[in-house]
Amino acid sequence: MKDLHFILLLLRKEFLLEFRTRSAISGIFLYVISTLFVVYETFVKIQPNVWNTLFWIILLFVAVNAMVKSFVQEKGNRVLYYYSLLNPSHVLIAKIVYNTLLLLVLSLLIWGLFIFFGDNPVKDMGLFLLILFLGSFGFSVTFTFLASLVAASNQSSTLLAVLSFPLIIPIILMLVKISAHALRLIQDTAVSGDLAILVAIDLLLCGVALLLFPFIWRD
Amino acid sequence: MIEKGKIWKFSGVILIVYVIIAGLLIPLKPGIESVEPSYGNAGETLKIQVTGYNTHFKEAGNSLRAWLKWDNGKAIAATEMVALDERRMNLTFSIPNNLPENTEVQAVTLLIDSETDGTSVLPSAIFLTQTEEVIAAEEVPWVKPANFSNNGMITFPFRNILGETIRNTYFHVPLWFGMMFLFLFAVIHSIKYLRKGDAESDLKAEAYTQTGIIYGLLGLITGALWAKNTWGAYWSWDIKQNMTVVALLIYAAYFILRASFEDPEKRARVCAAYGIFAFSTLIPLLYVIPRLTDSLHPGSGGNPAFGSQDLDNTMRMVFYPAVIGFTLFGFWLSSLQFRYLRLQKLREDLD
Repeated sequence: MKDLHFILLLLRKEFLLEFRTRSAISGIFLYVISTLFVVYETFVKIQPNVWNTLFWIILLFVAVNAMVKSFVQEKGNRVLYYYSLLNPSHVLIAKIVYNTLLLLVLSLLIWGLFIFFGDNPVKDMGLFLLILFLGSFGFSVTFTFLASLVAASNQSSTLLAVLSFPLIIPIILMLVKISAHALRLIQDTAVSGDLAILVAIDLLLCGVALLLFPFIWRD
Repeated sequence: MIEKGKIWKFSGVILIVYVIIAGLLIPLKPGIESVEPSYGNAGETLKIQVTGYNTHFKEAGNSLRAWLKWDNGKAIAATEMVALDERRMNLTFSIPNNLPENTEVQAVTLLIDSETDGTSVLPSAIFLTQTEEVIAAEEVPWVKPANFSNNGMITFPFRNILGETIRNTYFHVPLWFGMMFLFLFAVIHSIKYLRKGDAESDLKAEAYTQTGIIYGLLGLITGALWAKNTWGAYWSWDIKQNMTVVALLIYAAYFILRASFEDPEKRARVCAAYGIFAFSTLIPLLYVIPRLTDSLHPGSGGNPAFGSQDLDNTMRMVFYPAVIGFTLFGFWLSSLQFRYLRLQKLREDLD
């Protein structure tokens, strides 16, 4: 119970921080809108199989840009203060939950804009929403953890992309495959098995990240 | 003599030397390379020319025997055999009017046996077509191929597409095994570093990762050469090839990460954490995802990566020593690299 209390407090802090310094979040929203606009300006008409890949690639780049600041916002004495006060697992869980929610909102925004500019190729809405959540969670775990690694270096955004893109490939491959099924591009009979693998990869990475984070955090 | 601590290094080198000598010098078992023509009709007298590999048709003389065999075990013996030279031979079969299976086109296996070469098999050598419905029943001289001879030679199996490249099994596959062991040890040392904070563990993890990457690159190159000879291209966008490149990218990023931190203690901690995180993504990358899609590699689609039928006993005698030898050699390389890194660090500390 106490754990949940701390996590919720930290989550509230994340939301407050984001709300008070609106520049970062509005930057990301603007990034999404202009990317989508450029995509439609250049593509004109998007075929469903291109749509499928494009959606996840855009979400990937949005995620890198949104997550890289996870651990650089707060620096110096404040981190020291948190360190003396909090359990590192709570900090990481709060960040992962916050980033998952943020990515979920952003992915819904990307999807909405795709529908607004073009049309909606998604046939199985329930499945697509489910993998939006699983994808956001997987991206959030990977990027949040790696952002904590590169926070101390001085070229963190390039470094984050270099480190995370190869690591994200298992997740993104599963996502593209399942979402192709949700778009009815392929008939996938083993979709529940694929979902189970995606969940397993997400949970594996989450578990490893939770185990390792305490070592990274003590600065 | 040899110091105790060095025995494993010497045995690694001796095993590799043994693997190179045995793996390259043991000849391939005589086999059937091709059959011309590879189709025929029921009821006709079929004349085919067989091209063998490493065979001694002339030398075999009277001990030569040949059969065409159906899946249900029925077989007919060749009526006439003329050896043109050691590698080429003409065979004549009188195909029965009523083929023993129900399909229109039936694949038959060619079996050749002789005292000098032992038994050679070519599955689906000839496709026979059942031309007419049912012709009056006839007496077919069905036989059961038996009394196979064994020439007693130590050979590697002959596989039609693989040919001599089957020897790459002793280099390509053990290099992958070695790479996985090296990465595993790198992770163990990373975990050790996070638990104990000993600077040497960090250097060891770096050394193991470096050797692991070299093994990975060598595995990729031997694989690409093999693919050129069997699949027709160096790179076929096979899922396992792609995932391997991804794995190597992950470990290349490890060195970028190392280079971007000044403080050695911070660098060691961050890199250890990344190394463990990266290793845990290797499991879905190399063992789960490739099973989900079609792959040109043997053993895709849910089977173990290496089926038991892919190796015969002679190959096992070379393959297992190769795995052990390349792994031990990798550990030796890593320990040398570790000592070099330690000296480099000492010099930096002195400056």
